Amino acid sequence: MEQHHWVQQIQSGDPVAFRKFYEAYANGAIRTASAITRNRELAKDAVQETFIRVFRQIGSYDPALPFDPWFYRILTNECLRLMDKETLLVKVEPANLEDNPTLAEESFDQLSNLYDVIQSLDNHHRIPLILKYVKGFSEKEIAGILNVNQNTLKSRLFKARKQLKLRLDLPGEEDVTR
Amino acid sequence: MSKFDERIKKELTSRTDDDVRALEEDIWNGINEELFERRTPEVKKRKRWVPVVAVIAAALVLAFTLQTEPGSALIKTVKDMFVPEKEIIQNLEGQDEHTNVTLNEGKDSEYVIYVDEERYKMVKGGDADVITTSEPLPDGYPEVSMEIRQFPTDKPEDLVKEIEEELKIDFPELRPMETVTEPVEGYWLHGLTESVWDGKVIDVYVMSNGKDGSFVITENYFLEAAEGHGARFTHMLQSFEIVD
Repeated sequence: MEQHHWVQQIQSGDPVAFRKFYEAYANGAIRTASAITRNRELAKDAVQETFIRVFRQIGSYDPALPFDPWFYRILTNECLRLMDKETLLVKVEPANLEDNPTLAEESFDQLSNLYDVIQSLDNHHRIPLILKYVKGFSEKEIAGILNVNQNTLKSRLFKARKQLKLRLDLPGEEDVTR
Repeated sequence: MSKFDERIKKELTSRTDDDVRALEEDIWNGINEELFERRTPEVKKRKRWVPVVAVIAAALVLAFTLQTEPGSALIKTVKDMFVPEKEIIQNLEGQDEHTNVTLNEGKDSEYVIYVDEERYKMVKGGDADVITTSEPLPDGYPEVSMEIRQFPTDKPEDLVKEIEEELKIDFPELRPMETVTEPVEGYWLHGLTESVWDGKVIDVYVMSNGKDGSFVITENYFLEAAEGHGARFTHMLQSFEIVD
């Protein structure tokens, strides 16, 4: 459905229409929030709050701009806000892959290892990867969502992929694409 | 898409499958309850023009009473035409909230403003007055304050340009200046340092002081507090009246 239809539906305030919108967007939103927050409860709160904000703040959306990046900007900010809040409440040490010798011994074919490696990256590199691979946003869109320069974003994605390969002990692109 | 890309995508998808299944209905129930089921019968919202009408009515009373000797004696200052305390209904995060506000007089009695004294206090200074939280915020939180300062000899149109240039240093993505009629009539500058919960937000309103100068009202808060402190500042500022 075209973005202006979603906007109209949300503006209508009709619960049935809003439910349809939710059904169309919930899957991607939950996956993204879950991967960003690495915590089911935080993801739940972030997604719920995002939909509520979208419903209430649809008036601040500029219809000249694409809807999905606007939606995901709210979601990403909400994830970060809740993560920061959680960090303030409980000082949790981030998972440090290098301190976990068992992970380094696992092979790349074990996909669970790849997820751990992705999640071991810092937020600057991890979140662009999640937005790129979960939702398939373009670099330009991700730069807009994260409010960073497009070149900065390109560099972060490049470094993120490089770090993944390094940590997975993969020699180069050729070895994984063949 | 390379095989490496495909594996990343597949991995992120498979590892979030459980959360989608577990949360999708649960989240909707929460949204539904918050947006649609908890709706109580509409509380009649106070229309924004009500305070304006009240001020006009008070001004008319003042104008008529000042024409008579007893009237002049009765009303000692313009401040007298405002009630010391009142209850307002402000919409915060989509909910109507009843708040008691107290009349505060600015520096040299040049203006009045109603302050939510349950949460904020007005600190009068030599050059400016500052409305800030009653209790200091814990360490790690950015500044939350609303400063009201008068520049008796600077015209708003000149002053706002100077302020805009200064703000560009700390707020590189400062929005272009806008002319506004709410919460005050004047120029508005809005900036944010970065889109994180504690990103610093600044709102600056530059308005005429009714003579040759300006009032500059600067609100400082942080992104997460936009719908809290930011909204409360806006509501308080709507009651700002020059009385000198």
